[in-house]
Amino acid sequence: MKNTLSAAKPASGSLKKPAWFVAFGFLVVLILINWYLQPSFFDGMVLHSNLTTFLPLILVAIGQTFVIMGGDIDLSVGSIAALVNVVTVSVIAMAGGDSASVPIGLVAGLVVAVLCGAFNGLLISYLRLQPMVATFGTGIIFSALALWILPQAGLAVPDVYWMTYGGTILGVPTVLWILVAGFVFVLIMKRRPFESHLKAVGGNRAGAFQSGIDMSFTRLLSFALCGLFAGFAALCLTGETASGDPLLGQSLAMGSISAVVLGGTMLSGGVGGAVGSIFGALLLGMIGNVIFFAGLPFEYQTLVQGLIVLAALAGGVLVARK
Amino acid sequence: MSPAITVRDLTKRFDKVHALTDGRLTVERGEIHALLGANGCGKSTLSKIVAGAYAPTSGTVLIDGKEVSFRSPRDAEQMGIALFYQELSLIPKMSVEANIFLRREPRNGLGFIDRDRMRAETLKLLEMFKEAVGDDIRPDALVADLTPGQRQIVEILKVYAKEPRIVIMDEATAALDGRQVKVFFDILRKKREEGVSTIFISHRLDEVFEICDHATIMRNGAVVAETTIADTTPEHVVHMMVGDVKKAPKRQLRDEDDKAPLLKLDAVGSAQLDNVSLSVAPGEIVGLGGLQGQGQSTLLRSLFGALPITSGEVLLNNEPVSIRKPADAVHRKIAYVSGDRGPDAALPGRSIFENLAAAILVSERRKLVRAKELQPQLAGVASAFKTKYARMTDAIGTLSGGNQQKIFIARWLATNPQLILLDDPTKGIDLAAKADLFALIRGLADSGVAVLLYSSEESELLDNCDRIAVFNDGAIVTELSGAEMDSFHLTRAAYGEA
Repeated sequence: MKNTLSAAKPASGSLKKPAWFVAFGFLVVLILINWYLQPSFFDGMVLHSNLTTFLPLILVAIGQTFVIMGGDIDLSVGSIAALVNVVTVSVIAMAGGDSASVPIGLVAGLVVAVLCGAFNGLLISYLRLQPMVATFGTGIIFSALALWILPQAGLAVPDVYWMTYGGTILGVPTVLWILVAGFVFVLIMKRRPFESHLKAVGGNRAGAFQSGIDMSFTRLLSFALCGLFAGFAALCLTGETASGDPLLGQSLAMGSISAVVLGGTMLSGGVGGAVGSIFGALLLGMIGNVIFFAGLPFEYQTLVQGLIVLAALAGGVLVARK
Repeated sequence: MSPAITVRDLTKRFDKVHALTDGRLTVERGEIHALLGANGCGKSTLSKIVAGAYAPTSGTVLIDGKEVSFRSPRDAEQMGIALFYQELSLIPKMSVEANIFLRREPRNGLGFIDRDRMRAETLKLLEMFKEAVGDDIRPDALVADLTPGQRQIVEILKVYAKEPRIVIMDEATAALDGRQVKVFFDILRKKREEGVSTIFISHRLDEVFEICDHATIMRNGAVVAETTIADTTPEHVVHMMVGDVKKAPKRQLRDEDDKAPLLKLDAVGSAQLDNVSLSVAPGEIVGLGGLQGQGQSTLLRSLFGALPITSGEVLLNNEPVSIRKPADAVHRKIAYVSGDRGPDAALPGRSIFENLAAAILVSERRKLVRAKELQPQLAGVASAFKTKYARMTDAIGTLSGGNQQKIFIARWLATNPQLILLDDPTKGIDLAAKADLFALIRGLADSGVAVLLYSSEESELLDNCDRIAVFNDGAIVTELSGAEMDSFHLTRAAYGEA
């Protein structure tokens, strides 16, 4: 009797739906609603422009997932994006402002992104500062640096930058290439030991330490990775705006955390994955779309958006609790 | 050939508390070596130093005759040392296989986790315990979904997956049932033949005498004896472990029916309780007996308002009461002491004072804490228990398990309870402290407090209770008192044959 009972339990565990199941379900519903409200939704042009709008948040959410899986949080991603944006446009301008200087700017931006993330990681995993407070503080610093480098929006990038970003490569939109690359990266990480170690660190610190995992370094890497993806997002935003803006990306921190949680990753760490965060970010974008096309008066849009996000979160919690 | 491990003059200090003053140990290859001692004697500290989890304050550790100094568990692991962790090192939300191979995942050429190989090797390891668990543990099951015994088996497998030469089994049998222990011992013997050395730590002396070759005995942070198991007896070992034991005084038989019951349960039921009827008079210690997990803890937690009661009636001083949350119970002067200190009692990272004051703050509905006023009062309660601590402001974690438990019991004594619920309160407490504890509980009972005591050790029930209600499957099968209160009747009733 006892044996059959205990045998039944693990079996039901393996049949469990993936963490992103709820977000994916909501996403399908919203796509159908959007399609109904906007019959041209599946036209290539519309999809392309939607994806261009959603892509930065998707990328930041991917990076944020790793930090949150490790039991931490990064509030500075928006500021990192702003700093990377102004560094990139400034370096391009300094290098001559022609198409040959674009790669230099991209690399410089990404290096700054990783450095910012690693700085966060250093403070949190080695100096043991609280992640929420530490990244709130570093976020202010990164914003201040961005303002110092480029006090006013401007400094246009060479045409080749935004034309490539907005155009196609081998007949496929560049933004789709980037999304696919992000997906592939996430799938690779899923099978790498790093993600498993990170979940162990987030799920049970003492257990991870006793298993011999280098916790500080693992957490540092997660922050560096998060910075890198905030950098990617910044480069995409730069392709969209074609210029520098020190105040860019201010909603990215809260947006990415919402996307991660909507995607089924637990804020307490240890459970979840970046696939869900991609769906979560798409879901957030679609909520904005649907409200726009539903013709709601402007002054209600934010309120309704908040309520839908709350409902989606509650739905996820209810399903997870079962 | 030099021994597998030699430890000399090892000491370890945590702030001002000397956890280890004289650590010595010699373990030969292919030997099962018992490390014995009451709790807080330093054996966990000694084994954690050998496993690289703590750095010693001074002293030497030699592995195969070569001096080593480990900076992390990983260093020790590379020397072939694996420690079974008493506080489980498993990650609850990860699968069995991911836990067993955590940080040592088999990889394929691309650096990806080789899931097929991980699955195959996990199944091979599970095969070792097949006799005891059959196919109940699946490699892809979440550890959180396993029973405590199954989790312990996974922890043991995690140790052997490292193919260690030296294994430290710190209370590895605590959550195992009889059949699982038997299979585990077969594995230990097989490993001994393969030349693996095992340091075996257990509170169950019969296990030590069944499986071990030699023993090192510790008391108060120092090694007091080294002996061959064949040359000694359990009585002698216990004597060396505890020094002088104060026996709880044998009680006098009470006059029955002289007092109205303080607590009366009338057909109390819930998901795990089945028509429990019981009464406890002031001054009485009533034991809850039976096999583990038959509803004893559930009843105590329900009376404290931590679990729901769905039917029946609870009468306190002849008045029906409804206790829906622990705060209700505290205001009715009911105290609850759990053996699971970590989740049930400790305010981790907070001071001893704050841990002591937790209950009195609730019971007196205090909104402001006057530390200066409370501290002397609480210090008195704590010292009545012979609690060893440096300062009231030290973190609770600096105390040994036994001393922590004394603090958590003292916490309740400060509230002058009329009913004390003791839920296996001596888990992880040394023998001397146990005797102190039961003498104190008897004293409380004599002053008119009613006590409900559940213990997983039947001798504690038999020695200390006036009556024992024996549980099986959520129901009381019989009540033992007077001449029936012996091991034979208790065991027979526990197995439902009353």
